[in-house]
Order: sequence, then structure tokens, then C-alpha cells
Amino acid sequence: MPLDYVNLSIGDAVSCREFVLDLETVSKYVAAVGDQSNIFEPASASPMAPPMAVGVLSLRGVLDDLGIPPGTLHAGQEMEFLDSVLVGETLTCLATIAQNSVRRGVRLVGVKMDVVRGDRTIVMRAKSMIMVPA
Amino acid sequence: MTEIGTELAPITREITQIQIGAYADASGDFNPIHLDEEFAKTTQFGGTIAHGMMIAGLVSELISTTHKRTWPESGKLKIRFKAPVRPGDIVTAHAKVKQIRGTELTYSVGVRNHKDEDVIIGDATVAVVVE
Repeated sequence: MPLDYVNLSIGDAVSCREFVLDLETVSKYVAAVGDQSNIFEPASASPMAPPMAVGVLSLRGVLDDLGIPPGTLHAGQEMEFLDSVLVGETLTCLATIAQNSVRRGVRLVGVKMDVVRGDRTIVMRAKSMIMVPA
Repeated sequence: MTEIGTELAPITREITQIQIGAYADASGDFNPIHLDEEFAKTTQFGGTIAHGMMIAGLVSELISTTHKRTWPESGKLKIRFKAPVRPGDIVTAHAKVKQIRGTELTYSVGVRNHKDEDVIIGDATVAVVVE
């Protein structure tokens, strides 16, 4: 069920999802964006995931939980990569509301995300700003 | 030697609707503004547009190509999406050193379309490995 954006307050938890950064999903991401940086080497024993793949695939569950309405736009993005992530790792993404305001008929929602691995170390922090049709 | 004003070799790509569809599959973002031409025609953009994070991936690729694993281990990216990218657009990601502080480099980064319009602007900071 979509969230009631009007009543979201700063600090509200909107998503907490565990996911596995599996080879197939990362490979699909790399193929889709055409990344040629060679950070991701699928044939190696322990391939590293491109950092943006970690961010985008973490956002996946958040988008589902936010139930964003059609026409929502991405206005800005901050990402802080704190450690490399290997393909096959299990990560958890916790998302909370950082901003919720209306300006000129558009609702601007900020969502903070912490992505942690199994030992609870944070591998990525991020903040997404989205514009939701008011 | 890296100094202020040093530019990384830019990355240029043509964006296609097929690529946008593949990115939707990979990212799980099926917002119709990216995929449904009829819906997208009713919006301010008049047609489908690429996912912002798909285009932002070019900036990350640009920094990764130069800084290798220090990017996923220490990188910071702060960007704003300024204009839409449509299927058929040719976009170029660029990065220029704007600040050197201790062991950190900050680049002014962005993506421009073939009309030389900024579609993404921002900063990327990465630690410098001293060998």
C-alpha cells in the first residue's frame, strides 16, 4: 500500500530490507549502464560490485516500500561509499525520512539510507531527494 | 601529477529506449515516465526520459576508471539532476579537479547532453592513494 506522504515526518523509518547482491543482479546492472570501468570482474574469485550498483540495488527495496506514484522525479542524490562490497554479500538497507516539504505545488521528499553488511558495518550512506506530484 | 584544473578523459554514450528498459529491469524502477510513451506524453517532458541514476552511473564509471578501488572505498558523490535525458540523446560525463585538500581530491563533475546542456551537476570526492 502506498505511503501517505502528507503525514511522513522527519525520522520516520520507511524501509528496512535485507538483500543479497548476487552475481546475476549485478551483471544485469553493469550491462544496463554499460559500465566499462573494470571495477566489476565477474570471472574473478571474489568480484567487487560497482559502488553505484550497491546504491541502485539498495534503492530498489526503498522504492517498493515508498510506493512512489507515477510521475515522481529524482531531483538529487548524495552517496558516500565507505567500503567496497563483494558480489554475494548480504546487505541491509534502512531508510528514513530526512525532509518532507511542499514548494510550488511539488512535494519534495528526502530519504536517507544506511546500507550495512552482516557485521553491522556501514558500507554506504546515501540521501535521495525525490519530487512527488502533490 | 594531479593539480587543480586537471580533467579526466570524458565518457560519451548514446542513450536508447532499450537501455532504459534494461535499466528498469536491473534497478526495479518501473516508473512509467521512463517506460510508457503514452503516459510520458502527458507529462511536462512530452515523452519518456532516462532514469537519473542510470545517467549518474556514467559519473561513477568515470571516477572508477581513474581511481579504481579507492572510489568504492572512500568516494563521495553529491549531484543534482538538472534536465531530463531522452532516448536518442548523446551524453558526456566529465570531471575536473576543483580542490585538493590533504589526501582528498574533489572533482567538479557532471553530464552534458549533445546540445551542451547540463543534465547532471555536482561534486565527487575521493581519497588519493600515496604509493
